[in-house]
Amino acid sequence: MVFYAGLVSAGPRFRFCGDLDCPDWVLAEISTLAKISSVKMKLLCAQVLKDLLGEGIDYEKVSKLTADAKFESGDIKASVAVLSFILSSAAKHNVESESLSSELQQLGLPKEHTTGLCKSYEDKHSALQDKLRETSLRLGRLNSVSWRVDCILSSSELKEVNEPTVHLKLQAQGAESGSTETTVVSVSADKFRVLLTELKQAQAMMNALQ
Amino acid sequence: MMSLRKLPSTECQSLCHKVVDELCGREPPRIVDYGDTWSLGEWVGLTDCLSSLFRKTVGENCSDEEVLAGLRDVGPGYGETVLSVLEARREEIRQVLLKRTHLMSSTTLQDFDWQLKLALSSDKISSLQTPLLNLGLYVRENGALRSVAIEMGREELNTLISSLEAANKVVLQLK
Repeated sequence: MVFYAGLVSAGPRFRFCGDLDCPDWVLAEISTLAKISSVKMKLLCAQVLKDLLGEGIDYEKVSKLTADAKFESGDIKASVAVLSFILSSAAKHNVESESLSSELQQLGLPKEHTTGLCKSYEDKHSALQDKLRETSLRLGRLNSVSWRVDCILSSSELKEVNEPTVHLKLQAQGAESGSTETTVVSVSADKFRVLLTELKQAQAMMNALQ
Repeated sequence: MMSLRKLPSTECQSLCHKVVDELCGREPPRIVDYGDTWSLGEWVGLTDCLSSLFRKTVGENCSDEEVLAGLRDVGPGYGETVLSVLEARREEIRQVLLKRTHLMSSTTLQDFDWQLKLALSSDKISSLQTPLLNLGLYVRENGALRSVAIEMGREELNTLISSLEAANKVVLQLK
């Protein structure tokens, strides 16, 4: 029971941290953020969001933004890291911008800074979530499909065949990034029909999930 | 083939059916069922001979006369017996030959399985809610069976299906 009580009193929980305590380093670096102006922080946010969305961060711009606050390179890295954590963690746990705003103010981020950050977050909220969904672990991925239909006219086993056969080339990516596997397979017309029918059934079930 | 005459033509029919059974991948005829009729060497030669007779007749679409002519020396009745078996099993044998024709490609699709899943959550996002389809292809490659697993999201499945649909259109025109 004592242990349980200890757990409960472990401090405030934050939704943007997944209903856990705010990590100490985040708490510490929030005060670093407060050292630059709210306008500059909003511009810094835009750079961090670009990075999170895979568009690349402009480090030259970042160091210009933080120049007048006399940031050392450690401070610059810390501000980028803490913004990156706040934005990606909030998107990960689907926190709306009002809740994020009140939680950041509880953690001591000034009001104007919070408003700027939350506005940027709100604008990119769904794009961020799409990106997180897209980069979630996948055990494989289908990259491309090529096909060719042949008509078998004759064979050493059967003089008159006249049966179609389908050749498929499937290029799939494995669980490891960069590993692609190419499968070339020929399918008899009957099997091909069954394959297509079953895949369509699966597709219908998949669409019904929406 | 001459050793076939050691068996009365009436019993010959059931032997022929068993030879076709073997051709179709079912249980082969057993020498013990025919007692001391043939030596092992004769037995192997005879069943091989019958088997290739059935394959050749269906494969090359031989006429009944050709079959009868080939079996004339064996004795009366044998040719007719073989023809009656051929009549009954022609389509079955054709399907086997068709299957063998398809198997001539170095890699053929033996079987496939699929599984539809809903991914709920990941380390990147707590509410993932993304449907995924696992497609397992069992591919026969130079005699050995190999499996290929492909995981597909909604869009990848749509791409695959529209590709297969296009191929299917051509297949249907050929039929």
